[in-house]
Amino acid sequence: MMTYEQFKDACFRLALEQGCESAEVYATASDGFSVNVLKGEIIKYAAERSNGLNLRVLFNGKSGYAYTEVFEDPESLVAHAIDNAKAIENTDANPMQGACEYPEIHEKPNPVVDLSEDEKINLALQLERDTLAYDARVNRMGYCSVDTGVAETHISNTLGLKADREERYSYAVLAPILREGEEEHESYSFKFGPKMTEYGDIIEESVANALMQFRASTVDSGEYRILLRNDAAADLLSAFAPMFFAERVQKGLSLLTGKLDQPIASAAITILDDPFEEDNPRAFDAEGVPSVLTTVVENGVLKSYLYNLKSAQKDGVASTSNAGRMGAAGAVTTAPSNFYITKGERSFDELKKALNSGLIITELSGLHAGLNPISGDFSLIAKGQLVENGEIVRSVDQITVAGNFLTMMQGIEAAGSDLRFGPPMGGRIGTPSLLIDRLIVSGK
Amino acid sequence: MIQNSIVNAVLDEALKTGGDFSELYLMDTESNTVTMIDGKVENANYQRKVGAGVRVLKGTRSAYAYTADTSETALIACARAAASALKGTKECEAKTVAVHRVGTSWAKIPFSEIDNAKRIALMRQGTNAAKAYSGEITQVVANYMDCDHRTWVYNSEGVHAEDRRPRVRTAIQAVAMANGEAQTGTCSPGYGMGFEAYGEKIDIGNVGREAAKTAVTMLHAPECPAGAVPVVIDGGFGGVILHEACVHGLEATSVGRGNSVFCNKLGQQIASPIVNAVDDGTLTGEWGSMHFDDEGNPAQRNLLIENGILKSYLVDILGSRLMNHPVTGSGRRQDYTYAPTSRMTNTFFAPGRDDEEEMIRTMGDGLFAAKMGGGSVNPLTGEFNFAVGEGYWVKDGKILCPVRGATLIGKGAEVLMKIDRIGKNMWMAPGMCGSQSGSIPTNVGQPRIRVSEMVVGGKGGAL
Repeated sequence: MMTYEQFKDACFRLALEQGCESAEVYATASDGFSVNVLKGEIIKYAAERSNGLNLRVLFNGKSGYAYTEVFEDPESLVAHAIDNAKAIENTDANPMQGACEYPEIHEKPNPVVDLSEDEKINLALQLERDTLAYDARVNRMGYCSVDTGVAETHISNTLGLKADREERYSYAVLAPILREGEEEHESYSFKFGPKMTEYGDIIEESVANALMQFRASTVDSGEYRILLRNDAAADLLSAFAPMFFAERVQKGLSLLTGKLDQPIASAAITILDDPFEEDNPRAFDAEGVPSVLTTVVENGVLKSYLYNLKSAQKDGVASTSNAGRMGAAGAVTTAPSNFYITKGERSFDELKKALNSGLIITELSGLHAGLNPISGDFSLIAKGQLVENGEIVRSVDQITVAGNFLTMMQGIEAAGSDLRFGPPMGGRIGTPSLLIDRLIVSGK
Repeated sequence: MIQNSIVNAVLDEALKTGGDFSELYLMDTESNTVTMIDGKVENANYQRKVGAGVRVLKGTRSAYAYTADTSETALIACARAAASALKGTKECEAKTVAVHRVGTSWAKIPFSEIDNAKRIALMRQGTNAAKAYSGEITQVVANYMDCDHRTWVYNSEGVHAEDRRPRVRTAIQAVAMANGEAQTGTCSPGYGMGFEAYGEKIDIGNVGREAAKTAVTMLHAPECPAGAVPVVIDGGFGGVILHEACVHGLEATSVGRGNSVFCNKLGQQIASPIVNAVDDGTLTGEWGSMHFDDEGNPAQRNLLIENGILKSYLVDILGSRLMNHPVTGSGRRQDYTYAPTSRMTNTFFAPGRDDEEEMIRTMGDGLFAAKMGGGSVNPLTGEFNFAVGEGYWVKDGKILCPVRGATLIGKGAEVLMKIDRIGKNMWMAPGMCGSQSGSIPTNVGQPRIRVSEMVVGGKGGAL
């Protein structure tokens, strides 16, 4: 078996010999550790080592891909990539990034990654003990884990590009199951980064969210004013983020086609894509393009789509450094960096008063099925709380909330001051809680 | 794939710290994908994924390590990493091969004999059929996938099992637009077969037309009303209701830890007496089938519910230790980066005796869900949801008009008791199921059924 460098060089040499204009390698290597505990014992322990290499060639102006996890037989990989390039019929140009300088990035150090395995196991065990001790109604854990690792990404091509990154990640996940009488409920919380060792806030949050589900009932079907809590709002924005991808706009798969410089949301909404956001900064995207900050929506007006090199060239603009890949095995697509609705002035409690009568939605599920990023329609199972005269009356479950993403964006009365980001899985999506004039609720 | 001496060395290394069971899993998968957008090939990709995982069990504790490097040194290191989770001393030896199981590929035409030109020709045919269906179709996205998935499982109890699972799938999505509104339709058949599936099973023109029909129908449909009403769910992918509302809650993953509404219910009535449900991994050429599962056990036909009585859970090796229940050939995983756990294969409501027309005629006002989308469930509470891809509003037992944007929700234990009709003609449709051991191909299926009341979510306002 060859080393990564030998294999990459062989692929580049063979590709150029066989008539490719250029060739690029996107390689990843990761080393991870994961432990799940239950009732004071390790129930799952995993040590992970993976690596993969994706070759992209440019042949007669067309991109072709081939991926392998075995560094042997570069001839076969190059042949597959050229064969795939020959199949492409789309006539758009396929630019590759050349040699360039990158902005300096200040990542926070993450010493959790360097803890010994025993220390990480003890951290998970302690997290379980502390959660069980937090509230007498915590019956057991549905999930309790600690994950850490180092993930390397290397992008290089025959045009001189060389972009290397090492990300050190760590996170804790817990899901206490609370029991009262015959009723049981659980709620997941997670915490990423070096501060995961200070997990008191996620214990408090998950227990509160589980408690909120007891003695819940449905509501009458009809139109309601809605306060969409920040975490549920981030899930929804995450699912509709592809609407803002230029490649989807160009292919007629987004309702935002032709909407640049037009209002698409209420004036309360500004959306940024910020690769420099302090908790998850990056110097370059999946094509090695240097990071730039993009204003996507400003006071409700659509200012820019998210571009990779190919979609940017097609629109005659510069890439917004939003190339993404679905893992190393996938082709170049579009992905947000830190994509978020900026925070407003009012706290969650103030928004609750402003809601006056309506529903707080705390959880939306089934987002992979019950919404359509092309039509913008959604109809999702939800949990929440009924609010009357600015006060929470009771918990609500077994309802659906339905609407259209663009109509909803236009009906946002206020964004709260409680901006919160979801997990950094590829792109990271954030929003404050959102006060919405109306959505359709189905109950009894 | 590798020599027996290496296998034994790895399995033994994994047992050195006191494990009572060790397992080596090797995988070598080749796949090809083609994406065609608006009739032009947008992307073609080839992927080869190779790797190994070593698992050690001691009682109900489990340790797993994986590596993309399958050299002897790397496999031994992987075994050592898994073993390091336990701190004891060696208590048992790995047995040499006692059972050798070989599953041969069902493919008549292997994908190695197919070139991109053949793949592209199919996508073109599907795209053209969708576009020809109506002038309102503004975009067509066609995805082609073939995959040759090879696995080798060796364990310390002397089981050596290898399997080879070919899979094909095509997904065509049609977009219909008018007056600033967009609606979509998809059709995505898949089989555990070679390229012969095109011709024997899949009519690609029909796939394109089906997708286009849904998109155009929904474009002209009003919003679905909201409320609790009787619902008739058509056969095929309608079986997603069984998958979400019930069988996820029968998996050892949730039952083994006491986290399912169906815990301790064996032998009890959990569904209406007309309900029979099966999970069958042995069906030749089906999307969710395999010869041996990812723990080396033979695939089985498992009768889950008989006349409404719960007869079996879906149980993997770890689950069988937690539950004192025999394994059911249900140990599955996406690839070597996941330890196996209990999963579904081809899961369906068995055919019943009811007339498909009568169940609509006598339902009064409600929803006929002709095509279902995906869904999800919380096994602890049984709360499920799924999307309706193509729905029709029924008034006084007659189909009134198509309706868009419907979602069905409920609690599994309640909805199973409310099934009051099951038709005679059962068929299946493929999906990808996501759970603890990754994303795996599963079939769902059913005849047309009726549920006496479900909550229908939509934007059309109260009834």
